[in-house]
Amino acid sequence: MVAVSETGVAPVGAPVVRRRIQTSRGYRVFQVVNALILTAVMVITLYPFINLLAQSFSAQGAIAAGRVNLIPKGFNLTTYKTVMADPTFWENYRNTVVYTVVATLIAMVLTTCYAYVLSKKNVKGRGFLIGIAVFTMFFNGGLIPNYVLVNDLGLRNSIWAIVLPNAISVFNLLVMKAFFESLPGELEEAAMVDGLNTYGILWRIVLPLSKAVLATMVLFYAVTFWNSWFSAFLYMDNNSMFPVTVYLRNLIAGATGGTDQSASGDTALQVAANIQAVTIVLTVIPILSIYPFIQRYFVSGVMLGAVKG
Amino acid sequence: MNSFSRRRFLGVLGGGIAVAALAGCSTHQPGGASSGSSGAGDLSSNKVGAMDAFAADAQFKATAPLDFGMMMLNNPNYPYKANWEFFTDLKQMTNVSVSATTIPQSDYPTKVGVMVGAGDAPAIIPKTYHPAEQAYISSGAILAVSDYLDLMPNLTATVQNWNLDSDLDTLRGPDGKFYLLPGLHENVWVDYSIAVRSDILQKHGIDVPGTWDEFTTMLQALKTAYPSLYPFSDRWSSTQPGPGANSLLATLGNAYNTHAGWNYQHQTWDASQGQFVYTGATDDYKAMVTLLNSWVNQKLLDPASFTQSDAQAEQKFADSQSFVISANAQEVVNTYEKDLTGVAGATVLKIPVPIGPAGAVNIGSRIECGVMISSSARKSPNFVAMMQFLDWLYYSEAGKMYAKWGVQGQTYTGSVDDGTFKLAPDVNWGGLNPSGTKQLNVDYGFFNGVFAYGGSSNLLNSQFPPAEQVFQKVMNQRKTLPLDPPAPFDDQQQQQTTLWATALLDSVNQNTLKFILGQRPLSEWDQYVSELGGLNSKQYIDAVNQAYQTYKKAHG
Repeated sequence: MVAVSETGVAPVGAPVVRRRIQTSRGYRVFQVVNALILTAVMVITLYPFINLLAQSFSAQGAIAAGRVNLIPKGFNLTTYKTVMADPTFWENYRNTVVYTVVATLIAMVLTTCYAYVLSKKNVKGRGFLIGIAVFTMFFNGGLIPNYVLVNDLGLRNSIWAIVLPNAISVFNLLVMKAFFESLPGELEEAAMVDGLNTYGILWRIVLPLSKAVLATMVLFYAVTFWNSWFSAFLYMDNNSMFPVTVYLRNLIAGATGGTDQSASGDTALQVAANIQAVTIVLTVIPILSIYPFIQRYFVSGVMLGAVKG
Repeated sequence: MNSFSRRRFLGVLGGGIAVAALAGCSTHQPGGASSGSSGAGDLSSNKVGAMDAFAADAQFKATAPLDFGMMMLNNPNYPYKANWEFFTDLKQMTNVSVSATTIPQSDYPTKVGVMVGAGDAPAIIPKTYHPAEQAYISSGAILAVSDYLDLMPNLTATVQNWNLDSDLDTLRGPDGKFYLLPGLHENVWVDYSIAVRSDILQKHGIDVPGTWDEFTTMLQALKTAYPSLYPFSDRWSSTQPGPGANSLLATLGNAYNTHAGWNYQHQTWDASQGQFVYTGATDDYKAMVTLLNSWVNQKLLDPASFTQSDAQAEQKFADSQSFVISANAQEVVNTYEKDLTGVAGATVLKIPVPIGPAGAVNIGSRIECGVMISSSARKSPNFVAMMQFLDWLYYSEAGKMYAKWGVQGQTYTGSVDDGTFKLAPDVNWGGLNPSGTKQLNVDYGFFNGVFAYGGSSNLLNSQFPPAEQVFQKVMNQRKTLPLDPPAPFDDQQQQQTTLWATALLDSVNQNTLKFILGQRPLSEWDQYVSELGGLNSKQYIDAVNQAYQTYKKAHG
């Protein structure tokens, strides 16, 4: 440990003095308890995932007998090979990536533009624009009218049925608006004096200063689109257009059959637990690998707009 | 001023939306025109592609190439492929191709509901379980198929030959029509029963029980041999509408002349009185609950049976922590036997349903899920051809055989009627031919739940391994009891009884569980019955009896 002075710099030649803030006994106890509780929370959160990972490498018989906990029993890679050999899985996986990228991109452009407009207090009709956005938070047309609308607009069986109706999340919009409002107005005034128009100001001044909120919004949108299945399920009529979440959901539903009393025996078939585990693991991996890198923006992003001076 | 105008704006906006929504309701009634009409009407402009001389057991072949829209349930065990041989051969045989709207099995009813509700459903909507179709009747979105039975000679012949009129009656609404083309079975198909570890019974010299009394004796003997275990730990607790262990309750309910578990219904026909009575308050129901309570008291039945997940129950059975569990044919082969492969000498037997006070009888409908037709299809020039096509595929012997087992000489040999049926050497289904490398459903598209419904007992038996065939043979020798007479509610009765039904069902389920688990003494039965009275059980039954009388008067 390096000793430091109160200014944070050890003066040359000064004797090494260990100084640290005296912590009370109560605080130390608190720290230990806190660490224990948080470790317990971590274990509780991590356990199901590790269990799933172990199942994905295990034999079906071992899973059914409940012998798989943290370590795979009957280790094998056959299930991974089987699932990965299914072309529909990869096709749907590719769809998920495409839908997520396109939808996030469009959602970001539209949300940013809308939020920026709303953050300008002098815009005429601002109250109306906020009103129609907030209105949709509380009221919507319902399932069938939405379906009829999307159908009549000719969006069914295309990516736009997923992208357009979900392009602006009002919650994200309001968070972003609050962030833009917190930027100092003087910066924009200076830019205006220097001859930038509105678009120039947004592009060259505001957006470079808003990387934290942009990263957060990308994450919010991307995770939402990655996980979403209902729009695709509703508006797509073809296996080859489904995202992998619909594939996964159907697979898991296949494992809970057997209660279908009057079917001719076929719906009672079950998809093996290890196939489910492998599919879930493969679906979660991308989000899992991106998350740690955006996580710091995520934390700061959640606080955005929470305190306004 | 500003806030006033904003409010006014929102008011106007809200009003506008409400008006638009109401206008939408009044103008957008899909296919409403044909629903109210009686009878088939004039079909002369709907005969394009239809056969003039289509008759029962004739091969259907459209006179022009036709394409029908169809909802396709996508089972994850055999994901839909447009190039299945099922479709290519079907096209050759019938000149009909199918445009599929693929829907994942996980949420099939949801999407059917949305598409039918939006008036955008394909013509053919298979895999509909009665009474799901009733939700669409009032909007006129689906066709009263009973008006078009004269287009379906195979269906009418089947109903006549197997004497299915009273089964069909259960589908009818107060208007006397039905809106579902159901899968039809020759006999009541009993699939659910109890599985036991036959090796353990043998080891301790315990007989396979034939009646529920003997079943109790068997459990007691197992308890003596393994005092620390519950010999019976059951499953199927998450399925509505029962309180838990719903397969066991349903099976026991049949044996006790009542409805319980996932077969629970509020009304039970009392033939001696000639009217319906409230199920949960009958002496038969009480007798059944008393038996279950005695099992729990003697620690023969695991109390967790009513709450645990299927996986937990399966695990106990697989770990030899229990020896008795509810079962159907598939679960025995696919789950219990598979899970027990690690246990040396373990064998599983699905016992014939034990006999109770009702005697050696089969109770149940011979109808399974069926096909709805969109009302819009009635206007199609190919409507008659479509009905003929459906009649051939779902009701003719050849169609049913094709949908189930495929093409003779290619996917199977022999015949189901003389017992010579065998899958082709390279084809497997459900473990019938383990050496087969191709799956009949995955690779060919046959034995698909969308197309293969019902059929003769011979056809049904052909799908079972030898052990299950023995079970079916025993069950088929039992007498089939007649079904309850129809008592369909009209819209008003439906709404009123629905309000009562939830509270009644909750009370019946809660108290059934309490009585079984001993949390409420059986001496309070009469008090429980009067509690049901307070929840309008009498009014409910009066409505049923009124509906019964009305239907009887109108339709005989």
